[in-house]
Amino acid sequence: MRRGHSKSSPRADNCVRVLVVVQRYGTDIVGGSESHARIVAERLARTHEVHVATTTAYDHWTWGGRYRSGTSALNGVTVHRFPVVASRDERYKEIERQVLFEEHTLEDEYRWLRAQGPHSPELLDFVHRQGAGYQAVLFYTYIYEPTALGLPLVPERAALVATAHDELPLRLAPYRALFQLPRAFGALTPEELALIRREFRNDHIPAEILGIGLDPAPAADGPAFRAKHGIKGPMVLYVGQVTEAKAVDELLHMWTAYLNALGEATLVLAGNVLMDVPKRPDVVVLGRVSEAEKWAAIAAADALVLPSHLESLGIVLLEAWQMGTPVVVPAWNAVTAGQVARAAGGATYATREEFPAALDAVLADRARFGGWGRAWVERECAWDAFDRRLTNLVQMTAFLA
Amino acid sequence: MRSPTGGQRSSSRVGLRPPLSSSLGQSSLLVVIQRYGDVAGGAEAHARMLVRRLREHVDVEVATTTARDYWTWRSELTAGMTWVDGVRVHRFPVVKPRARVFRSYERRAFAGDHSLRDEIDFLDAQGPVTPELTEFLRRHGREFDHVMFFTYIYWTTVYGLPLLPERAVLVPTAHEEPAIALSMYRRVFHLPRAIAYNTAEERAMVERRFANARIPNDVVGVGVDVPADASPERFREAHGIDGPYFLYVGRIVESKGCRELFDLWAAKRFAGTLVLAGHQEMPIPERPDIRYLGQISDRDKWDALAGCAALLVPEVLQSLSIAALEAWAMRRPILCPSKAPVLASMSRRAAAGVPYASPAEFSEACELLLERPELGDRLGRSGRAFVDRTYTWPVVVEKHLDLFAEVRHRLS
Repeated sequence: MRRGHSKSSPRADNCVRVLVVVQRYGTDIVGGSESHARIVAERLARTHEVHVATTTAYDHWTWGGRYRSGTSALNGVTVHRFPVVASRDERYKEIERQVLFEEHTLEDEYRWLRAQGPHSPELLDFVHRQGAGYQAVLFYTYIYEPTALGLPLVPERAALVATAHDELPLRLAPYRALFQLPRAFGALTPEELALIRREFRNDHIPAEILGIGLDPAPAADGPAFRAKHGIKGPMVLYVGQVTEAKAVDELLHMWTAYLNALGEATLVLAGNVLMDVPKRPDVVVLGRVSEAEKWAAIAAADALVLPSHLESLGIVLLEAWQMGTPVVVPAWNAVTAGQVARAAGGATYATREEFPAALDAVLADRARFGGWGRAWVERECAWDAFDRRLTNLVQMTAFLA
Repeated sequence: MRSPTGGQRSSSRVGLRPPLSSSLGQSSLLVVIQRYGDVAGGAEAHARMLVRRLREHVDVEVATTTARDYWTWRSELTAGMTWVDGVRVHRFPVVKPRARVFRSYERRAFAGDHSLRDEIDFLDAQGPVTPELTEFLRRHGREFDHVMFFTYIYWTTVYGLPLLPERAVLVPTAHEEPAIALSMYRRVFHLPRAIAYNTAEERAMVERRFANARIPNDVVGVGVDVPADASPERFREAHGIDGPYFLYVGRIVESKGCRELFDLWAAKRFAGTLVLAGHQEMPIPERPDIRYLGQISDRDKWDALAGCAALLVPEVLQSLSIAALEAWAMRRPILCPSKAPVLASMSRRAAAGVPYASPAEFSEACELLLERPELGDRLGRSGRAFVDRTYTWPVVVEKHLDLFAEVRHRLS
């Protein structure tokens, strides 16, 4: 018996044709995996010929478009856009509830995949016809149809950047095959890779932990931010959507407990407000902020808190560390807790009751935790470090027949 | 942006691990195949022989369709659970027969500039379309330690294997043909946890085409049951055949290369007879040096093989010639076209046959074997050694059990 071997492929030469397949693409698209895909495409385009196959969609829910189908260029990348033939099925929620929680059939699961969209037969046909013209094809986001149905057409040259969470859809039938097929995985964090290994037993498929690359933080005026908002004493910052989905309600409860136990401080919430926040003197609600204002807030803060339970990268943690600001996260979020442990840039709380003590410990040693976090980010998120990891992924993936 | 379902934690983990039962006793195996039981067909016969051997080592069940005919897939057998050779067989209904205009789907999908839709339509048109079978695999497939899928080309494998890749063993029975170039088949060769090839040639072809060498695999094929008492004299007597003869066994049909064979034979007059046995599906030239015996019994076949100057295998496209293995088991050589990629290469490796590239080479080989019988004996002996090394049941069963162990190891 042959146990299976990967021929050590000849080193990918400097110019490999790379295709990136992703559900949405553009400079004004908001979304974690979409942003990552664009960063990857643009970094690779510095040394490779890079194309993107995507849809005309702008909206992540309806898949409604503001882009035209056809080929265009964006920051050195050739972008092929294909039409989405139907917007998300209006019964989507109902279909989803059924396949996740109720008795259903295999056919229902495929119906769900299609109802979720973005359903673009022309995009899949492009992968079928043109896929072999690229040496490497990077597929983004396991959950959407272009990846679930596109990757199986070119497994011998595919990498999967799954951006997977521990969530119910991961166990649906369309993904049983997906996680056994690619030449290599690109994971955002070690925790994501561990999930992929645990769930699918695919240790034989090589992987690279990509993380992210970051531009240096801009100059920001912390004292001016404090003066503008009249903040005195310790300042704790949250950046992101202000919503229960990100556990901001939990944060407010823990905040009250902290004040009761340990005294005076101000909590600043920066981000789109999608829930009711009670008016109180110790909580400043900024709403949506500009990039410059965000950086100023981070510079002004003594600690940043990210209470969300599910996060694929926690980029705001990395930004806080760039400014030397330490962070506090829950221990039950494996991804963010893992980032904090690796960087030693803050503290975790194992229960809500531990939050006050964790925050207090970080505030007491701001410079030390913040400095460690900054050193880690400068090491791990420097562009040359990111490019090395990315090149490694492309080399593991490239089909050089 | 992510699906809004994020945040829901999995409460019920569907484990990939083999069921507990396997650690207590025998491991279990599900065989998935397009037809099973009293049906004609190489892969189907292969599967059934294998199941009969493997059931002594693993708990085997079969999942298949209600079809008997590989062309129409008409539902002729009763759906539900039944037994074949004492083995549990789950039959699922074929919901639509092969498309009546299948050839036009085939033409479209095989054209150079075809769409993905053309491929999907071709797979449905080819069939056998059995959604209840795939539903069964989704729900219950993980209750088996291993699931073997036979034949890469059919709907049952293309849509069934992706549901159980982590425990799948594929028996592709692949050869160079237009279908294997379709995009929809790439997943089939990249997904399984192990692949059991029929020949080293098949493995080389598949790995060249799909670059899937990372998947554990072995050349396994089938075993040959060699009778102890084969008798050329009994055969000659029964059919009144004198003098040296060349043998062809199998369906007598153009797709098996019989037209070419008859032309080669007619090009020259040999000091021997061409003996044909099998189902006749095309005209056979009327000549004194060609004898057609009709369909013969198994014992007759072994007797005939034991006495032939050589077995003629004119077919070009095949993944494994059982007849050639049987001839070698009887210590007789074979003749085959050198453009038959599998058999020509096998007979070279076995040093047990003569590939021919032209009519002149064919006649030369025949004459040599007639004039110098010791040459044929030597090739035949070397063929028997080749069969003993690879294609005997103990070896075949052992290799399967090794592949199964590899699957379990990666799942544990």
